[in-house]
Amino acid sequence: MKQKRVLIFALVCLLAGILFMAWDMFFSQPETSVNPYAYEIKALRASDTLLTRYTEVQQIKPVLSEIHAIATGRADRIYVAGEKGVEIYDRDGKLEAEFPIDESARCIQVDRNGLIYLGMQDHLEIYNKEGRRLKQWKTCGEESIITSVAVTDEDIFIADAGSKIVYRYDHSGNLLNRIGEKDPRKKIPGFVIPSPWFDIGIGHDGSLWVVNPGRHSFEKYTSDGELISSWGKATMSMEGFCGCCNPSHFTILSDGSFVTSEKGIERIKVYSPTGVFKCVVATPDSFNEGTKGLDLAVDSTDRILVLDPQRKQVRVFVVK
Amino acid sequence: MLNRMLWCIKNMKGRILFLMMMVFTISFMNVYGVQRFPKPEFESGYVQPETLQPSARSAVLATMDVVVLAFALALVSWLVLKKRSRKGVFLTSVFSLAYFGFYRQGCVCSIGAIQNVTLALFDSSYVIPLAAITFFILPLIFTLFFGRTFCAGVCPFGAIQDLVSFRPQKIDPRLNAILGVIPYIYLGLAILYAATGTDFIICRYDPFVGIFRFSATFGMYIFAGTLLVSGIFIARPYCRYLCPYGVLLNWISRFSWLHITITPSNCIQCRLCEDSCPYDAIDMPLIGRNPENRAVTIRKLILICLLVPFFVVLGGWTGSRLHETLAGVNGKVRLAKELLEPLKFADQPETFEIAAYKSSGKPLSLVYAEASQVLRQFYTGSWILGCFIGLVFGIILASRLLTRYRTDYSPNKGACFSCTRCVDYCPVEKNGLKEIQP
Repeated sequence: MKQKRVLIFALVCLLAGILFMAWDMFFSQPETSVNPYAYEIKALRASDTLLTRYTEVQQIKPVLSEIHAIATGRADRIYVAGEKGVEIYDRDGKLEAEFPIDESARCIQVDRNGLIYLGMQDHLEIYNKEGRRLKQWKTCGEESIITSVAVTDEDIFIADAGSKIVYRYDHSGNLLNRIGEKDPRKKIPGFVIPSPWFDIGIGHDGSLWVVNPGRHSFEKYTSDGELISSWGKATMSMEGFCGCCNPSHFTILSDGSFVTSEKGIERIKVYSPTGVFKCVVATPDSFNEGTKGLDLAVDSTDRILVLDPQRKQVRVFVVK
Repeated sequence: MLNRMLWCIKNMKGRILFLMMMVFTISFMNVYGVQRFPKPEFESGYVQPETLQPSARSAVLATMDVVVLAFALALVSWLVLKKRSRKGVFLTSVFSLAYFGFYRQGCVCSIGAIQNVTLALFDSSYVIPLAAITFFILPLIFTLFFGRTFCAGVCPFGAIQDLVSFRPQKIDPRLNAILGVIPYIYLGLAILYAATGTDFIICRYDPFVGIFRFSATFGMYIFAGTLLVSGIFIARPYCRYLCPYGVLLNWISRFSWLHITITPSNCIQCRLCEDSCPYDAIDMPLIGRNPENRAVTIRKLILICLLVPFFVVLGGWTGSRLHETLAGVNGKVRLAKELLEPLKFADQPETFEIAAYKSSGKPLSLVYAEASQVLRQFYTGSWILGCFIGLVFGIILASRLLTRYRTDYSPNKGACFSCTRCVDYCPVEKNGLKEIQP
């Protein structure tokens, strides 16, 4: 009798196994429906709150239907460029002036004289503060996608993501030289730009800083195009940059520190002048998921101005 | 310069100097390599999911596997037929479990190779590995000559089940016959799914490979566990009631040139071996039963001639009715279904396949066209599968209707695993025929 029970038990086990196979084959959800290799980006979005040393104090809501770029000028005026228009705000966010433009500006810069430099798709336009167009330069190239402009007293630098190069012009619009072309002899690695985010800026010593987004690094050049130094670390952790190409934008604080913004994992961070991670300005929680084009600017008091194109806001962050 | 280098290499100090130069050169090259595109780093603590597939074997190791397989088959055949040594067979099976099971992680195995061979026959673009062909054919050749010696001591699946077979019980012959149909269905399904390029279901539902790799889904661990637990009381349940390769070996073994016998000489009808086989693979002598008269036999034969085609047609028709269900396992058909009936799957999260389809930009009409082509293949395949299963039912019924007369205890050449357990029970084997005969 006992033997019979044991046998029945064994048979039940066997049949259960066979039924499991049949159920799994015909009725269960296939394993491939869940991608075990799916990129777990949510875990990377988490951030240590102790690292965040800035707080958001103000939001400015431009009237433009789309906003693309931000810059600061004299008296901490805030310049916002976007869909066929430019708006100028005072330090407190009060609209002072606005003027229309023919196309959409992708980037903006303001010099010490108050001239406004707008980077269009493939060329540069220069306006005065009243909104009168003073100059319209010829196209940089057929494949040009101008993503950033930097201005010094002598030069105007234009970052072209389409041609993967930085152009140096004089103020008359004459091309002086091209910066960042791959040159193994000069140890210039060339710019790796998988997507149209390619920012440049002028350091306090007058040298040109260029983001090499595919390499997740910053490169410092002389105006003649000599590579001086570089810093940056490709890493998934907070200390570096990750994804295909980051950071997407940067600006420089009064002490020479870099403020960077990233896409993919939307965050804004501060690095020392030598590239050492210092702190977080805004964590991914502060932005809508998928936000791109977080352009940055700082004013004379080191307030960090973040252009949030998705929320259509200029968001102001200060040290806690 | 060249002479100087040769001089350096010729004496000991020179060799050290040369080595240092090489190290320096390599280090310099490494420094230069920093300028290359930075490698991605994964420092977030994200753990890559463990893959369930082993890495591909190198050509040398694959050749070694084939050599080991041939050697193991030859050794077991010799141990079974010449030495009649259970101990030798057992030790070889332990080696096979270690080598083909745990070391080779159960892949490629002869059982799964059925699918590789099938796919190669139906898909000209599929290049079958030589090891897969060899693992498929070698055991069949050895079986044709020496019986199922592969099952006895080379198959790691058989070995692992043998290790847990502590208290094997006899199974009722009718139940044994019914459960014995399952491997035929499994074989038919495996061939159908491999031929249509749907899936390798033998590998997907391989219960022991997870144990060999220490890596399986929870469900497969449970499946393996239930088989091993049932294997304590039902010897080799996978081999007897699931193994599709066993079906082929069973057929071929029936025509084997040499096959193990229970007694090395004449059977003395001592009945000692009667309960020795844990697999119920010993055919008992049918002494004392009157032979059927000719008229009854003819009637039975007529009945069989009618029944077998009936089962074949019935099986084929039933199979064709089920072709859509069977085709549901195919990825193309499943995708088309999900796209065709989005509301039915609305409560489920978007599948990986749907997401992949959306990003591919493939037109919907192409997805449906591919799915309908697969469905047509399954319609034909299901007819053939159904006919095959119907034929198996018919033959089993016929074999039960017809009475075969035997005078000796003999291993069933199809079902016997040539494990040599029964040999130890034979007094003729132990003491020699002359000693026990009066």
